[in-house]
Amino acid sequence: MSEDPLRADPQRGRLSSRLLAHGQEPDPRFTLANERTFLAWIRTALAFLAGGVAVEAFAAEVFADPYRTVVSVLTISVGLLISVGAGMRWLNVERSMRLGHPLPMPLIIPVLSFASGVAMAVVIALVVLD
Amino acid sequence: MSPAAPLHADPGLQPERTVLSWGRTMMLFALVGAVFLRWLPHYGFWTVGLALSCAVVAGAIYATQRRRYTRQSRGIAAEQVEADVPAVLTTTVATVVLGLLGILAVLS
Repeated sequence: MSEDPLRADPQRGRLSSRLLAHGQEPDPRFTLANERTFLAWIRTALAFLAGGVAVEAFAAEVFADPYRTVVSVLTISVGLLISVGAGMRWLNVERSMRLGHPLPMPLIIPVLSFASGVAMAVVIALVVLD
Repeated sequence: MSPAAPLHADPGLQPERTVLSWGRTMMLFALVGAVFLRWLPHYGFWTVGLALSCAVVAGAIYATQRRRYTRQSRGIAAEQVEADVPAVLTTTVATVVLGLLGILAVLS
């Protein structure tokens, strides 16, 4: 089994030769499925980003000033976390598939569940207490 | 006139699904840009820059869709698709930068 990626396939780009150096090319269907999963996470992150921006833009009458800023920054931060997690997970999954290892646990799923729960609790609290 | 030969014979339509997924992501970037425009009354400078950045990312995805479809279809036909590291990295970095700039704008 050849372990030298450059010799195995001179067509590969520099970035993928460097970041995905080891193992063999996995089934192309899995590579594309991994890409789609990454994109779904990025859309989730973008939805949080848009939500945070919308809170700051639209909810001036609903939330008083300091709370609104906090909610907005927290929501955008969740989007940030998810997008970083999406990129890292894509890379880890791709590496595992190349080496034939089991796929890593999705750490961003608990992050997302926790963040959604907290966000709803905060909104309910702010609306009820207002 | 006969129809053009298909680029691949994958019954799972993997390239189509992946390209459509990029298309949905492109639309969400455009949406985020549109929501950023709502900040225009509060933060003029940031807003235009942020909306333009979103438009650039969406435009870049749109401009590469055709090439992406061809590359993935040929790859599926040849049973080997190179993982698109540059596209994934660029999308991640773009999302992170947009979020950081958004937080900066809110806190400023």
